[in-house]
Amino acid sequence: MKTELLIIGAGAAGMAAALSAWEAGCRDILLVDRRDRPGGILPQCLHKGFGLACFGTELTGPSYAEQLAQRLKITNVRLALGTEVLAIDADKTALLSDRYGLTELHFDRLILASGCREKSIGALPVAGTRPAGIFTAGQAQEMMNLRGQDPGNEILILGSGDLGLIMARQLVLAGKHVIAVVEKEAHYGGLARNFRRCIEPYRIPLLVRTTVTEIHGHGRISGVTLRRLDSGEEEQISCDTLITALGLIPERELVRKLGDPDWLFLAGNCRRVHDLVDSAVAEAERIGKEATR
Amino acid sequence: MKHVDVVVIGGGLLGCFAARNLCRWNLHIALLEAREDVCTGISRANTAIVYPGYDHKPGSLKAELCVRANARFDALCRELDLPFSRCGSLMLSFGEKADAVLKKKYENGLSLGVPGLRLLSGEEAQGMEPALAEGVTSALYAPTAGTVNPWELGIAACESAVANGAELCLNTRVLGIGRSLEGYRIETDRGLFSCRAVVNCAGLSADRVQELLFPAAVHIAPDAADYLILDKAAENKPTHIIQYEPEDGGKGLSAVPTVEGSLLLGPSERENEVDFAVSAEGLSFVRERAARVLPGLDLRDTIRSFAAVRPNPRRSDGSSIGSFVIEHPDPGFWSLIGIKTPGLTCADELGRHLADQVASFLNAGVNETFDGHRSGVKKMRGMSREQRNAAIRENPDCGEVLCCCEDVTRAEALEAIRRGATTLDGVKRRVGAGMGRCQGSRCQQKLIALLAQELGVSEAAICKDGAGSEILGSRRYEN
Ligand SMILES: Cc1cc2nc3c(=O)[nH]c(=O)nc-3n(C[C@H](O)[C@H](O)[C@H](O)COP(=O)(O)OP(=O)(O)OC[C@H]3O[C@@H](n4cnc5c(N)ncnc54)[C@H](O)[C@@H]3O)c2cc1C
Ligand SMILES: Cc1cc2nc3c(=O)[nH]c(=O)nc-3n(C[C@H](O)[C@H](O)[C@H](O)COP(=O)(O)OP(=O)(O)OC[C@H]3O[C@@H](n4cnc5c(N)ncnc54)[C@H](O)[C@@H]3O)c2cc1C
Repeated sequence: MKTELLIIGAGAAGMAAALSAWEAGCRDILLVDRRDRPGGILPQCLHKGFGLACFGTELTGPSYAEQLAQRLKITNVRLALGTEVLAIDADKTALLSDRYGLTELHFDRLILASGCREKSIGALPVAGTRPAGIFTAGQAQEMMNLRGQDPGNEILILGSGDLGLIMARQLVLAGKHVIAVVEKEAHYGGLARNFRRCIEPYRIPLLVRTTVTEIHGHGRISGVTLRRLDSGEEEQISCDTLITALGLIPERELVRKLGDPDWLFLAGNCRRVHDLVDSAVAEAERIGKEATR
Repeated sequence: MKHVDVVVIGGGLLGCFAARNLCRWNLHIALLEAREDVCTGISRANTAIVYPGYDHKPGSLKAELCVRANARFDALCRELDLPFSRCGSLMLSFGEKADAVLKKKYENGLSLGVPGLRLLSGEEAQGMEPALAEGVTSALYAPTAGTVNPWELGIAACESAVANGAELCLNTRVLGIGRSLEGYRIETDRGLFSCRAVVNCAGLSADRVQELLFPAAVHIAPDAADYLILDKAAENKPTHIIQYEPEDGGKGLSAVPTVEGSLLLGPSERENEVDFAVSAEGLSFVRERAARVLPGLDLRDTIRSFAAVRPNPRRSDGSSIGSFVIEHPDPGFWSLIGIKTPGLTCADELGRHLADQVASFLNAGVNETFDGHRSGVKKMRGMSREQRNAAIRENPDCGEVLCCCEDVTRAEALEAIRRGATTLDGVKRRVGAGMGRCQGSRCQQKLIALLAQELGVSEAAICKDGAGSEILGSRRYEN
């Protein structure tokens, strides 16, 4: 199989890149994503706060995704969902796997729009046991908003990036007890807007200059040890769930060994982490055009 | 009451291989495991090295079994259909004292007949392994050292035992042992067993299990160890197993390029701890040693840390024991007590050794129908493109990648469940889903749904591993 422009990832960036490449005249575009709906992480972000710059109003994640998907429908961009890209070779072939078979796809240009992954707690030098009940924030968000799965009740959140803040609010609204949001820096990590909307109104304690040094519990997590970084004081806290928001890592595994060939373009969160979807989209639109020239 | 010829207590590596080797004889065998799955104890957390055997005292059982086990390891892994990487090992010295230790080990190894051993200069070692730190003064190269995934090996042995007629009883904890007309009466939390012989491979509890009926001359004094795992994408990983013999005689470090492609670093050493819980000091120790020996590693590539527990055997006067302890307090009763390194390497040999003794005691005939071949789960990763395409054409589930870090498909996860995985860790141990750099944050939620669907239970009932490790709360959200 052959295509002129392959785009990996049908999140906000991938869809925006496809649209702008189409508008710039590219007529042979394939957009692939492993998920079975377009939008990337947007469909799991049920809160409002997307698209102020692009649409002049605050949309939810799913409706933002829907806007882009609708615009894609009136183009001839081909969308292959439920399709995993397994490998990219230097000779400009991609290896695709879906339920129908394995496909070697030749392309002229590639836009990688594969988003990012969350740093997991395994990366931190945290002592203690390795029980159930520890989730990343994005995972908890997907569980609750897309799968109807309940992460737990007495919840500590480690990390105060936007994901941590947004999940703190959602958990409180779902009737959970959010014991605290814990942050090692002296200030929360996310946008001021998210702090004002998600933490302040619900009086969720924010513990800065604090970290988790040990995990307790057999079977399910039963608590953690918190350390105050300035005083060195330690304190044990009970919880049945730990949600980590430790930061996002651009997902570039597929192209790690390829260097910087002139046919490869990066867009969206795999290029750099965007706090706002509008900025990911604006960047992707520029990249879509660039890849069409 | 259930009647069998032999009860094997404990489904770790040693129990699984004892059961498998007992199947070579005409014997009815029950393998009793307290937990929800096999290989959840010591066999789950260790250094994963298949040792060449140069360390052991000439004439000892350890030396004999280890050298033989190593030589047979390719054949064993071929028979059990699992990957074995004979990557070789380099033991490093950074000074005169350690040079002398390596020289002794080398000579010891020669006298044991360990094949291919070579003493290398620092430059030669660095030539073979550019990732090494400066200042290596000598190295002992053992080309026959290798690595295997320990739980994959144990699970394979267990599947092979079951295929040859052994009965696996999970969630079955031995609580008491008495005598019966036939031999022994085994009380468990799932009913009574009566048998003619007992093989006790209860790992960290092996001394206490023996004491349910007999005194034990050897007791276990556990201590803990910590490990780190680096992502397979980490740069400057060694391609050989690297071991380091510190000049001050203290604890060294092993770096093992695993069959999965990640790098295992450890272990640390801690006194008197019995919990599989990581210690902060242990982690810093491993990090410090790793930075010293393999300075090119970026420890930010760490994806997981875990703890292990060593079952150190001690005599009643507290002195430690260097050899493998096989207690035989009664004509039909055997215990393996405190089998640590190289217990993984020797699991099959120890199993054979015991099975032969049991069979001779019971006058058992050879089981002519024994078939040692087992087929592993067909892994998409590593297949040729043609094979993989054909597999998807035959079964669409082979085309659906569930764990994107380790490239594990829905078909593999389903096969893991069909083969007995009932938990998230059970699936992980059988097919590797969730072992990679995102540590399951992208596949766990799908696997929970799949397990619930296949086992016919609610998602809230799905556990990470043992009882009480339910992953979800009880509420369902309707969206
Ligand atoms: C929880 C959260 C809340 C946010 N809140 C806001 C907000 O309120 N307002 C706002 O403006 N912005 C917000 N953002 C930021 C914004 O949503 C993101 O920056 C943007 O959606 C990122 O889009 P993307 O296309 O780069 O990545 P993604 O949406 O992650 O899309 C990447 C896609 O690539 C696919 N993919 C990756 N690798 C492969 C492969 N090998 N094969 C096949 N498919 C692959 C993935 O499945 C995924 O669908 C939020 C982000 C998060 C995570
Ligand atoms: C830190 C460390 C590193 C090691 N590294 C290596 C290495 O690199 N190479 C090597 O060759 N060897 C190594 N070993 C040795 C090897 O891992 C062990 O020898 C081997 O795993 C021991 O297996 P086991 O079956 O005795 O124990 P386990 O795997 O613990 O199995 C015992 C089983 O018995 C069950 N059980 C206990 N009590 C009962 C009961 N009452 N009723 C029913 N079931 C019960 C437990 O649940 C458990 O599943 C290492 C060991 C350690 C500790």
